[in-house]
Amino acid sequence: MTKITIIAALIAATGFAGAAKADKLDDIISSGTLRCAVVLDFPPMGMRDANNEPIGFDVDYCKDLAKVLGVEAEIVETPFPERIPALMSGRVDVGVASTSDTLERAKTVGFSIPYFAFEMVVTANDKSGITSFESMKGHTVGAVAGTFEGIALEKQVKAWGEGEYRPYQTQADVFLALSQGQLDATVSTSTVAMASVNSGKFDGISVVGKAPFDTDYVALFASRNEYGLINYLNLFVNQQIRSGRYAELYKKWVGGTLPSLTVPNAYR
Amino acid sequence: MFGYTFQWNQALARLPKMLDGAVVTMEVAVLSMLIGILCAILLTLLRLSGSRSLRAVATGWVEVARNTPALFQIYMAHFGIASFGIHLSPFVSLLIGITFNNAGYLAENFRGALKAIPDTQIRAGRSLGMSQTQAFRYIIVPQMLRISFLPMTNQMVWAVLMTSLGVTVGLNSDLYGVTQDLNALTFRTFELFAIAAVIFYIITKIITLSARLIAARLFRY
Repeated sequence: MTKITIIAALIAATGFAGAAKADKLDDIISSGTLRCAVVLDFPPMGMRDANNEPIGFDVDYCKDLAKVLGVEAEIVETPFPERIPALMSGRVDVGVASTSDTLERAKTVGFSIPYFAFEMVVTANDKSGITSFESMKGHTVGAVAGTFEGIALEKQVKAWGEGEYRPYQTQADVFLALSQGQLDATVSTSTVAMASVNSGKFDGISVVGKAPFDTDYVALFASRNEYGLINYLNLFVNQQIRSGRYAELYKKWVGGTLPSLTVPNAYR
Repeated sequence: MFGYTFQWNQALARLPKMLDGAVVTMEVAVLSMLIGILCAILLTLLRLSGSRSLRAVATGWVEVARNTPALFQIYMAHFGIASFGIHLSPFVSLLIGITFNNAGYLAENFRGALKAIPDTQIRAGRSLGMSQTQAFRYIIVPQMLRISFLPMTNQMVWAVLMTSLGVTVGLNSDLYGVTQDLNALTFRTFELFAIAAVIFYIITKIITLSARLIAARLFRY
């Protein structure tokens, strides 16, 4: 073999080795764009302003992440059921989409540490006579299909053994059905409930009390095998809290008491 | 291509639930076809009737059913009707939406089939002493159904596939709704939807094959 061939082979080999080593985090940095899956039907986490531009807690969170990575943020709107297909098909790099970190889901995607936590409340149609979580028993209730509260509510309706559970595709449809009286009550995150009741778009509904579900911790997600990226996301979430940015964003979009993101008496 | 490992056993473990969903899907499709055929015959009669207003109603129905998305029709059957204070369950809303769509398309099929039957047959029936109704019922309708039988199976397949729009009105017991729920629970999107697609394919294949068998038996000359 000539020297030139050997050198060419060596260059090729290092080239391949380099390509094999580059992970998703490298890809994001070198592409110059961070593509985030964000649900824009979930105020105040994700929504659109008067100019149809995406705004909200999740949108700002994505922009913060892009900023520390030194890249441009690209918000990719994904309705709740389409978050995972968007990730798997490579349309997005990271999900900043208020995604509950259940163990069942963690078998499929990789979650960061929690970056937000939701309290659940009951919102009822004023004519239904529902005044608390317990008095929903026997009524027609609904929530957004596939959300943490939707899954918990469906289970609860089955446990009560009476009444009916209806999942709708979007939060807007749930509140439309609720104000039309098709649903008597819904369980949603307190943030969504307040935003919807105060929006003035839905008549005759009000928040009537808390739902005794577990706190809904939500996490950023990425492909399960992208440890480098997930590791970075964990540190990012931690730094957001340390730097006070989490509190700042919470005050800007939600207001009230800042929810703790740690589970008492547990590591991580 | 995918940063993702397929885990079929995770999805296949949920197959019984999906098959239960397939039964509900079939229920909706069959009911919507039966009621749809009756409505379509009625629409065809209305369009043949002398009254201008009745003809307008029937034409309006067919026009809306054929020229707007099925999604819109089903959405209206749930949220649209509800704004008048009438609350229908997701199952009934979906059934009404698909039936409305079926009736519109089938009425158009029937109209085409009627055109293929010479007018002289009615006159021949009349001259044999049949009344107008009898001639229509015993001579025209059987031929009309025969000519439009294969287009009807086409509509039946379409009805099965349209049940997947039930999720937009809150139905989660049909095949697509069940799949969607399982997807939210497990995030095994690709496996679950691949299985659902196979089930849909099998259902529609059974429908077209059995329709062909029935046609071969019923329509021997």
